[in-house]
Amino acid sequence: MKVKVKGWHGVAVWRWDVPNEEVCGICRVPFDGCCPTCKTPGDDCSLIWGECTHVFHMHCLLRWLQTEGSRGQCPMDRRKWVTAK
Amino acid sequence: MSSRSRQNTIDKTSRSNINHNATYTPMQRKTSKKYDLVNHGKDLIFPSHKPIPDRPNDAVRQGHQKQPIKKLVIKGLKDKPKLPANYEEETWSKLRAAVQAIFNCQRIGTSLEELYKACENLCLHKMASSLYNRLAGEIEEHLKVEKTKLVRDKGLEIFKKQIMSSSAGDIKKKTINGLIAFIRRERNGDAVDRHLLRSLIHMFIDLGTYCPSFENPFLLETRNYYHHEGLRLINEFTVPRYLKHVKKRLKEESDRISQYLDWKTKNPLTKVVDDELIKRHVDALLDKGFNDMMEDQHADEHIQELGRLYDLLARVGALDRLRLYFGNYIKKTGSGIVNNIYHESTMVEDLLALKKKMDSIVAISFDGNYNFAHTVKESFEVFINQRQNKPAELIAKYVDLKLKLGNKRMDDSEIEKTLDEVLVLFRYIQGKDIFEAFYKRDLAKRLLLNKSASFDYEKSMLSKLRKECGPGFTSKLEGMFKDIDLSRDFMTSFYHSRISENLRTNIKIDLYVNVLTQGFWPTYTPAPLILPPVMAGCQEVFKEFYLSKHGGRNLKWQNSLGHCILAAEFQKGNKELVVSLFQAVVLLQFNDLRQKERISYEHIKEQTGIEKKELDRTLQSLACGKVRVLKKYPKGRDVNTTDEFTVDETFDFKFFRIKVNAIQMKETLEENQETNERVFLDRQYQVDAALVRIMKMRKTLSHNELISELLSQLKFKAQVSDIKKRVESLIEREYLERDTEDSSILRYLA
Repeated sequence: MKVKVKGWHGVAVWRWDVPNEEVCGICRVPFDGCCPTCKTPGDDCSLIWGECTHVFHMHCLLRWLQTEGSRGQCPMDRRKWVTAK
Repeated sequence: MSSRSRQNTIDKTSRSNINHNATYTPMQRKTSKKYDLVNHGKDLIFPSHKPIPDRPNDAVRQGHQKQPIKKLVIKGLKDKPKLPANYEEETWSKLRAAVQAIFNCQRIGTSLEELYKACENLCLHKMASSLYNRLAGEIEEHLKVEKTKLVRDKGLEIFKKQIMSSSAGDIKKKTINGLIAFIRRERNGDAVDRHLLRSLIHMFIDLGTYCPSFENPFLLETRNYYHHEGLRLINEFTVPRYLKHVKKRLKEESDRISQYLDWKTKNPLTKVVDDELIKRHVDALLDKGFNDMMEDQHADEHIQELGRLYDLLARVGALDRLRLYFGNYIKKTGSGIVNNIYHESTMVEDLLALKKKMDSIVAISFDGNYNFAHTVKESFEVFINQRQNKPAELIAKYVDLKLKLGNKRMDDSEIEKTLDEVLVLFRYIQGKDIFEAFYKRDLAKRLLLNKSASFDYEKSMLSKLRKECGPGFTSKLEGMFKDIDLSRDFMTSFYHSRISENLRTNIKIDLYVNVLTQGFWPTYTPAPLILPPVMAGCQEVFKEFYLSKHGGRNLKWQNSLGHCILAAEFQKGNKELVVSLFQAVVLLQFNDLRQKERISYEHIKEQTGIEKKELDRTLQSLACGKVRVLKKYPKGRDVNTTDEFTVDETFDFKFFRIKVNAIQMKETLEENQETNERVFLDRQYQVDAALVRIMKMRKTLSHNELISELLSQLKFKAQVSDIKKRVESLIEREYLERDTEDSSILRYLA
């Protein structure tokens, strides 16, 4: 007998590339979950990485940056927030 | 000229004008007074008389007309107007003539309006009572005249006095006894002379003694008769037959009324029959016959019988009793179905059948009575939740069965109908989370293994669930559909990329990947598997492409859900095998073996890295299932670690394309347990959250109060012992503390 794989239906699960059980520094909700304003995690509530290597829920960080007290700084290290590419 | 003096002049002139009008009423006088008052000091009423100096013409005209200006003042009469002295007499004689004309059926000489006015005038002048007396006297007079004329009535009176009174011997008594005996004989089934009965009874009606002389003894006799009959027949007859008999009796009695009794007897008579034949035996009827009637296999007949029972019980206001029995029957039958662990496979269908039957009984037999429909709902809710979790699970699986490929016998409307029916059962269930968990797991398999009968059905079921439980319940399920759609889009962009071209020309594997969002799908335990280098490379290519498109993500492969299409060359021809990824990897081990060369179980395990349980299942499906590509040594149903395998070179099958991956669809015992456990874990969090919510609001509560409040908040049944454990855990985590004096009191720690 000779068999050869012709077609393959694979299944993969994606999750954010952050250490397990780590939480968002702003809302304290795990990154696997969503920010407090969203209802479902995933594409609709994505994460944002800064050049300072800190990660947040994008919605949480944007709301933070809109407040006056933030002065456009990363809430963790008070350096100017620059979104990583 | 001041306005005051102008006024006076008008007063003088106008008084004479008005006084001669004799028909002024006090009302009008009052208004005229007001009119005066308004006028004082204000000239608004006569604006045209004000001089307008800057218009010369007007000034000239004023010069010419220096006479006093006319002003209209209305004053009351000094004396009250009087009627002519003989007005009353004259009017009465007119009215009297008219009344007499009416009595004698003649034409009335005067117009009716005039007569009416005459009456009104008399009444207005407070002569109503005398008019009334006169009229009464007139009528009495007239009747006196009449009475002497009716010889017939007199004759009747004499007849009544002489023959039909109790003092005049016992003719009357005999007549009445005779009548009653006749009726009794008719009730017993004999034919009697109805005409005679009718004329005798009408004699009593004409004499005006129907009620005391005939009706009362007749009703007494009737009560007596049916009392005995009821007691006798309730034991003798079956319930349906008894009911038929009662219907017949009621019909007979109503015939009797229309044939020869006075219609006034109708209500008391039917009441007597209702009382004696139905009301007295309500419990006996329900006890003895209700369950049998419900069980009866002849559907049409039992629906009729139940309808009859409903009608009769409705007459005596005993529907509440019937409803009680109805509810108890449903509960008993239902819990019989739900608690029967040997017939779990048919539980949902049995429940649907029961529901259908109950609905049709309510609709047809019970007149669509809303209360009874409510009883059905209530009873279902009670029994279906008697057994926890299993009904919810089975309902989810039933839906899966209907939505799965290979169930094509039903058409669209049938599927829709079935889904709607199942949803009604679902509505009764408390543990909706169990349903969700199993439904989700099955849905995932249908979607990922391409086993769904139709996306339209899936979407329709989803929208039904959303309507039933709200968008929160279905958001994850909707997310699953979204992932499938996104994956399809992503795969198209993958196929148009240069990387995949390389994949297709060199490796020749047609790769399709569903990429899932972790939160939406059921969690799967990772299953280890060593992929052949070609496939592993293939996987890497895709992963690289995916991550280049979606930064900040991680991909994990779910081996247990993958499936492959294999091109297989056998001696008897080429085949295409649809297999699970595990099966594929195992089969690849048998490539390029010498004839009859055996591979040991251990070798396969080492090469593929598949876990024992999974490998057992996989090998069993390949060597012991319906389609046997492999041969096992020694033969047997179960796979042992010492077994050896070869390819069945003589393998043949009637189709070119063979599906061997049915095991993937089947739910394993572990999977089932895992799903259940996951739901219980979720429930624990819900209990924790509810406990904290309550305590945060109430600050201090006794243990029992807390538990009862908690149970009312939870949407599933929770064991008190489990709740206690959660309370302990919250105390450990310092959400709560016990009171230092009374340990049954809990306090919230902020």
